[in-house]
Amino acid sequence: MDIIRDILYRINEFTAGLDGGLSSYATMMIRFILPVLAIIILVRCSHSLFRERSESELWGQLKFPNGTILDMFSWENIIGRAKSSDVFSDYPTISRNHAALIRDDKANWKVYDIESKTGVIVNGKKIEGDIGVPVNSGDTIELGGIPLTFIAADNTDEYEQAVSRTKPGRYYKQRVTIAYLTLFQMFLALQLYIALDEQFSSAVIYSFLALIILTWSCYIITRILKRVAFEIETIGFFLTTIGLSVTASSVPSDIMTQIMFIVLGVIGFFTIGWFLRDLDRIKKFRRPIAIIGPLLLAITLVLGTNRFGATRWIVIGGISVQPVEFVKIAIIFAGAATLERLFKRRNIFAFVGLMGVCLGLLALMVDFGSAMIFFVAYLVIAFLRSGDFTTIVLSVAGAGFAGFIALTSRPHIIGRFASWGRAWEYVDTAGGFQQTRAMTAAASGGLFGVGAGNGWFQNIFAADSDLVFAMVSEELGLIVAMIAVIAILIYAVYTVRYADEARSSFYVIAACAMSAMMVFQMMLNVLGSMDILPFTGVTFPFVSRGGTSLVASWGMLAFFKAADTRQNASFVVKAPKRPKFSGGGSIIYKNEYDEEYIGENDEGNYDLSWDDNQEPQSGVNQTYEWGDPDEKFWENLDDSFWEGGNDR
Amino acid sequence: MKKVQKRSLSVMLLVIVALLGMGFYIVRYVVHGAQWAAAPFNRTIFDGGMLNVGTVVDRNGVTLADVVDGRRVFADNADVRRATLHAVGDREGRVGTGALTVFASELTGFNLITGSYHRGGDPGRRIELTIDARISAEAMRALGGRRGVVMVANYETGEILAMVSGPTFDPSNPPDTFEDGVFVNRGIQSAFVPGSVFKVITAAAAIEQVPNVFDRAWYCNGGFDVSGLRVTCPGNHGSLGIIRGMQVSCNVVFGELALEMGGNTMLQYTERLGIAGRTAVSGMQTASGNFDAAPRNSADLAWSGIGQFTNTVCPASLLRLMGAIANDGNAIDLHYMQRTGPVSLLPPRTERILSRSTAQQLSEVIEIQNRQNFPGLQIYAKTGTAQVGGGHDPHAWFAGYITNPGHPLAFVVVVENGGGGAAVAAPIANQVLQAAIGR
Repeated sequence: MDIIRDILYRINEFTAGLDGGLSSYATMMIRFILPVLAIIILVRCSHSLFRERSESELWGQLKFPNGTILDMFSWENIIGRAKSSDVFSDYPTISRNHAALIRDDKANWKVYDIESKTGVIVNGKKIEGDIGVPVNSGDTIELGGIPLTFIAADNTDEYEQAVSRTKPGRYYKQRVTIAYLTLFQMFLALQLYIALDEQFSSAVIYSFLALIILTWSCYIITRILKRVAFEIETIGFFLTTIGLSVTASSVPSDIMTQIMFIVLGVIGFFTIGWFLRDLDRIKKFRRPIAIIGPLLLAITLVLGTNRFGATRWIVIGGISVQPVEFVKIAIIFAGAATLERLFKRRNIFAFVGLMGVCLGLLALMVDFGSAMIFFVAYLVIAFLRSGDFTTIVLSVAGAGFAGFIALTSRPHIIGRFASWGRAWEYVDTAGGFQQTRAMTAAASGGLFGVGAGNGWFQNIFAADSDLVFAMVSEELGLIVAMIAVIAILIYAVYTVRYADEARSSFYVIAACAMSAMMVFQMMLNVLGSMDILPFTGVTFPFVSRGGTSLVASWGMLAFFKAADTRQNASFVVKAPKRPKFSGGGSIIYKNEYDEEYIGENDEGNYDLSWDDNQEPQSGVNQTYEWGDPDEKFWENLDDSFWEGGNDR
Repeated sequence: MKKVQKRSLSVMLLVIVALLGMGFYIVRYVVHGAQWAAAPFNRTIFDGGMLNVGTVVDRNGVTLADVVDGRRVFADNADVRRATLHAVGDREGRVGTGALTVFASELTGFNLITGSYHRGGDPGRRIELTIDARISAEAMRALGGRRGVVMVANYETGEILAMVSGPTFDPSNPPDTFEDGVFVNRGIQSAFVPGSVFKVITAAAAIEQVPNVFDRAWYCNGGFDVSGLRVTCPGNHGSLGIIRGMQVSCNVVFGELALEMGGNTMLQYTERLGIAGRTAVSGMQTASGNFDAAPRNSADLAWSGIGQFTNTVCPASLLRLMGAIANDGNAIDLHYMQRTGPVSLLPPRTERILSRSTAQQLSEVIEIQNRQNFPGLQIYAKTGTAQVGGGHDPHAWFAGYITNPGHPLAFVVVVENGGGGAAVAAPIANQVLQAAIGR
């Protein structure tokens, strides 16, 4: 702490000792530095995300009588005559969606009869009903009279595959990207330090320092968990940094509360991520979590505080919470499903019912913005589950009708629509007051902004939440604001891009629904405040001040990570364990931080914290250094494998 | 799985919609950004409605507004300050047409790249107005504290040399209580009953619409009857043609011409000449003039032809029309900020509102033959004494132009409830124009 004080003292000396001139020049220069850093961070993250080669994981094979072997690249595979089948076979006796072969977390496979005409026979026994029948490697599965031999990848196969797959980080070293982010955070803090009242100076420095430490801690935790990809988190921290600057500028006294919410969010991210690692656990908790959604909404409706026409807030101990933000996660969690459930009609009916209850409760809460966001999530889930375009069209029509009724019965919502697109005709009335100020502020900022903490827009009501895009545009400029927008879009493109390699449809559906929701919410926020869409008052994920929204946004990141199956990219995705050495005994390695730990090598993914399946074995303890000559296998790997990438 | 994965592409649809939305926003930002940023609630450039950066000078470099020690100061001469108030603005930004408000983005150097940002202590930009401080001060003295407006503009370039509106105040020493309407720039933001100056518009229509109008004769015995109602004329002019009718401002001639052409034709001409509706001054919309097409053969129609009935005219729009008559029918966009940059190399935007021959003939109609009251001026103009009713004195109008070599100037003078146009408004115009031609 003495060091920090010393630094603070020196900064004070530096700025106070000079007239206002120099600090104003510093602000002027930082205005140009921040967008450049933001662009570097985003380009490095997105390039790293999208440049990696698409490498599927091979989980099993089916051997046809004619010797053809077909691969299964997912845990959930449909075998059928439909072109879109995962295992496609054009034998006329095989039905379009004949059977499903599904692997669970513990490498147990089950086969399901989905929509077959002739049935599925496993080792001579026909499957009855829609119950899954366990199959083992070498078993025969007979479809339409054709006997297929099922071969499952065993632990050694999976392990060797994991070793041979490319790890992300070949192109960009994550820690260099984070260093750029740290620079961004430091410059932003300096700019705020210059701009803000002296009484908040130390709070600003401490809070940004806390954020920098948190960013690096997360990276170190990721590395300790033997994971190498950090792009998603880096983008999350970048957006969070902008959010912290927004808070520092608009309510500097609240900055420590905001830091607390950021920490909560990151804890939530790791907790949800841990939860999502296990598909069996997900299946087990689906129902309780589904019930939490409407329950939370009902509680809000009863106990909530009505503010500005909507009942969205519950005040606990002086802190306002918006439970609806968590309901978003719960609903999507309940709506996403593993493949075998997709074919059961009652499941989708249950989901439609759940969504209907939630939308009804939101209508009672007069939370029009959230209702629209929920509806987009519903559309994505419904489409991903059914692929039925007609249903979607009908849903939209139904929603349009419901929306019309909502509009005609709620005067304050009509008011918002009445002034839509004509904000400048309502400059000083409720219909256009906020939007006109938002546009003026955004234009006033130009490309580089007037400097964090130097804006006037923060005095406008909801500037730091529903109108935050304008506030960011004013203070940090259009470039940084647009990069925040593009960052959210990159999340969406990323979820689509990695949907191809996800292990379970649960992860694909959940990640897509969440990214779609984020994009839509961002759109409502940006275009609503700029009078291009009706102003509905929703938050910009990560950036808007408001604890619940921030925590929920971090929670959603865990779902994105769950869909990322690049080798060792994501702590949410389990990696195969290293096959046991014949000699037995556990091995002690030193990691790059020179800490000894028991278990597997870097890519062996022995998770100290979470893996409860593998007991360290008793026996002779050996200590290996990196590249131990005894381990021929490690020797043959090039350095980049260890480093997680070469710097550029 | 493959199916679900393929369907996930639907999310890209939303991404594309979002990108289109952002693209649309950027287009709007580029097109309207300067306008948005110039709103008076932009506190980066306005401090309590006051622009805190930038210097304004007149066409000869006389300082009209400056910032000294962070405080807005105005011209050294008190008369100049009062005369240029409505062109320059006040400290609080209450004068809507003041350069400090209208040209705020030019003064701060606003552009889409750096926005409104200016470093603390940065003095901002300097803009030059087309206003001439000396002529404006003379106009202010001529107006003599009365309510009204004096505007003088170069009709070949569109530059406004004087735009003096009364009542006014000294922006450096604002009074504790403001006169009613003191912030209104009467030249741009007001429209008045025009009275006889409107006969110029009726004449313009008649030259094109009434065959052989110059050979026609009317008989005035102090008025005429329309559908049982009397339309009066202050004079008893006997038999006369259109030129004499204009000189003596005979109501019979122009009332009957209006009846002959009909309300719709008259409306068409008022719109074409920019009299009904709005014109622009430095891109700013003027107050809207008004002309209602009265029914055929009604006394109202006759009255509308002589500038009464429901007619109103914005002084700046009439100034533009007078300039167009002088300029062979081409109306030039009026402005009071000096055009700068590459745009200034292009000729100012003009609109042909009268044919060359009509403009020529019209100028003969309004030429002032008896110049003893306007020594040294080749003057073409029309007076107006607009009855406003309610026991108030009429508005005094005088509008026209001079063709003195080197001084292509159009002018308009209005004295609100000032009395007769010839007696009240014409001497003001003479005093200002004498100053303008340097006598």
